Amino acid sequence: MSMKKRVKLIGSALFLTPMLLLAACGGGNDTGASNEDAENYPERDISGVIQWGEGGATDNISRTLAPLAEEELGGTLVMENREGASGATGAQYVYDQPADGYTLLFGAENPNLYQVLGISERDYLTDFEPVSIIGQSYAGIVVKEDSPFESLEDLIDYSTENPGDITMGTSGEGGLPHVASAMLQAELGTEFNQVPYDGDGPLATALLGDEIDATVLAVSAAQEYVESGDFRMLAVINDEPLDSAPDVPAITEAYPEFEKYLPWGPFQGVFAHKDTPDAIIDKLSDSFEKAQENEEFQETLENLGVNPLNINGEEAIEYLEQNRSTSTWMLYDAGATETSPEEFDIPRVDEE
Amino acid sequence: MDILQQFLTPFINAELLLLVAVGTLAGIFVGAIPGLSVTMAVALLLSLTYSWDMLPALALMLGIYYGGVFGGSRAAILVNMPGSPSSVATSFDGFPLSQQGEARMALTLTTIFSFIGGLVGVAVLATAAPLVSTIAIQFGQRDYFLLAMLGLLLIGSLSQGSMAKGVFAAGAGIILGLVGMDSIGGGSRFTFGSLQLMNGIDFVVAILGLFGMSEILYQLKTLNEKGQTVTLKKMVFPPLRFLFKFLPLSMRVSIMGVLIGALPGAGGEIAALLAYDHAKRTTKNPNRPFGKGAYEGVIAPEAGNNSAIGGALIPLLTLGIPGDAVTAIFIGALFIHGLQPGPMLMEQSGDLFWVMVGSSVLANIFLLIFGLLVVGIFIRVVTIPKQILLPIIAVITVIGAYALNNSMTDVYWMLGFGIVGFFMKVHNFSVAPLVLGLILGPLIDTSFRRAYMAAQEPSTFLLGFVNSPISILLTLAFIFTIFSQTKMYSRMKEKMKK
Repeated sequence: MSMKKRVKLIGSALFLTPMLLLAACGGGNDTGASNEDAENYPERDISGVIQWGEGGATDNISRTLAPLAEEELGGTLVMENREGASGATGAQYVYDQPADGYTLLFGAENPNLYQVLGISERDYLTDFEPVSIIGQSYAGIVVKEDSPFESLEDLIDYSTENPGDITMGTSGEGGLPHVASAMLQAELGTEFNQVPYDGDGPLATALLGDEIDATVLAVSAAQEYVESGDFRMLAVINDEPLDSAPDVPAITEAYPEFEKYLPWGPFQGVFAHKDTPDAIIDKLSDSFEKAQENEEFQETLENLGVNPLNINGEEAIEYLEQNRSTSTWMLYDAGATETSPEEFDIPRVDEE
Repeated sequence: MDILQQFLTPFINAELLLLVAVGTLAGIFVGAIPGLSVTMAVALLLSLTYSWDMLPALALMLGIYYGGVFGGSRAAILVNMPGSPSSVATSFDGFPLSQQGEARMALTLTTIFSFIGGLVGVAVLATAAPLVSTIAIQFGQRDYFLLAMLGLLLIGSLSQGSMAKGVFAAGAGIILGLVGMDSIGGGSRFTFGSLQLMNGIDFVVAILGLFGMSEILYQLKTLNEKGQTVTLKKMVFPPLRFLFKFLPLSMRVSIMGVLIGALPGAGGEIAALLAYDHAKRTTKNPNRPFGKGAYEGVIAPEAGNNSAIGGALIPLLTLGIPGDAVTAIFIGALFIHGLQPGPMLMEQSGDLFWVMVGSSVLANIFLLIFGLLVVGIFIRVVTIPKQILLPIIAVITVIGAYALNNSMTDVYWMLGFGIVGFFMKVHNFSVAPLVLGLILGPLIDTSFRRAYMAAQEPSTFLLGFVNSPISILLTLAFIFTIFSQTKMYSRMKEKMKK
């Protein structure tokens, strides 16, 4: 082998090395517990685990909030997606890390339902401490524009008279349409033929393509199709009409019995392990609270159709309790799960 | 005039031009590294470009997207390790080509025809987006089922030697594809109570193991028997007549690619597989048999998966519905930058559409330039002695598998697939049908069940196959494909000739 050729070969081997380094950048999470004071926190990178995949609402919100929180915290947040099993994989991962505030969970409402649906043992209230609840979205019941159902009453009446005739698209167990259908079934005795899809996008596609008769979408996701004249929104699941959709009646207008379940809807928040020192939680909560006050971030939330909450501490815990009680008991009452929320000491909403 | 101006924006705006160029180049390398996915890269850019203006952010993301899909085939050709699912089909003939010293030819041909495929995709996007999105929306669950079944017929093309072994491998792949949480019923399948298994098996992990790791193990077996390096053939540039010879094929598979890419439930990987199948069925006299290094076998999937990008942008820009995982992030980016992706997007911000079209054309031009320029760099990988190359690739497969989801479980799966793949090779099982099963299995499972659940009764379900024009077409295509393999068909054909 000539010298020149050898140099070339070494060059090629060197060319491969940056590939390795690049690939290694994909994951970098520090483990190992230590008892640092909150004073010095954060002393190293904080790992932010997003429990849903790239491009989803939780991902969008988390990734835009992270750089703002970094400024307040004076540390670096390394964000990564750990999706799968309705977000249970990410939640379990954060729970398994040391409770030192160096691994945070950026999650949605799903862990509130893991126990009753048998997806995972993890639960926000027993296993995690809320750092901040960022915001909540609203759900709307939609049909296609040429649907014979002009109002929510039309849809409800038809489905009680013809059980199983209406095909309702859902986003799987514990998803928004699944829980909302359970809510309708528990209170009004409706019965839908539920067909699960992979999320808001596929549901909108299925409704456009006449595969399903009705579905429940985040109002922000549905609003565009309502404005274009493709969809009709029959009601929003809230106790008053929304600013973003003023013409759509609230569900309580026709059915006041839903009052006790509200406010209810998908939410996003930041969580730490339950045993994280209080001082660190406080510092995190403060930083995230200030970060969310950023005007540009507020605009982002508005664009995403999220109602900003920015709550932490006791207020956040109460919010989580209310959401969990509503969703779990609704699922149980509608027969969507056989595991009673009572087994996990979850109180009923109307008993509170 | 406005349209032309918007279309030309990325060409005359130095910032956009540079960002598309940087994105495309970076994308080629990101795509070429197994385990670094385009999706991951684009998601990282979402935070990075949060404070930017929208157009520069999108230009960079679009460049990465085009470059990344293209880059995936570099590793597929050179080291038999597809960088992404959409370049799996390219490895079938690409790697044999490179082993026979024709890596330069394979890399150059795929670059040129990726460019052509990409342009066809953009052309359809620019001229027929509303029409194509109407068709895509009408594509029901039953049609996805039929499409996946058509894809499954590829087993015949892919199982070299014994058909029975191919069917067996594909069956095993389908079963492995079922592992994890069932997205329809919510139950767990083959998880044995393990949360790690609930995630299912990422098919990129399977590809890394079955193609990458198993190849390493297999080559170790013969390391001291054969010559250690591949001698590169001198060929510098493919003759011009190749361009004309392969143009009709590449146009056909590009059109296929756009249509499949536009479907919200199917993307580049299926487009590339069906393009490969189409090439194999329609090419009368390939330069070498398919699977042994046919030029058509690398051209078709590459043209197909690049044209699928233009397709995936169609539902995104006309309806606000993502055509694949990467366009899902684009939707997030549009939201974050204050737009409302949805059916009103074109009316509210029509300039965005034409700037995206312009950037896409630009990205394809850069893809051609950079693609041809880096051939010289990539090609050297082939000349590295195996003793040096194999350990490096082994490390890349491990890191790649880990980096996908930051999970050790994926690494174990990858190693397991590597060992299984090794024994499959030893016993003359082709690994491709296994990957095919893994990719198509979940699609067959969910689309069949959704179609059946929505139909409620067996009779309505069966009637559905002949009720809609798309379903009839696909059903006929399926029946014809099977029928064309029978002896009766060849006898009929002979009679017709007489």
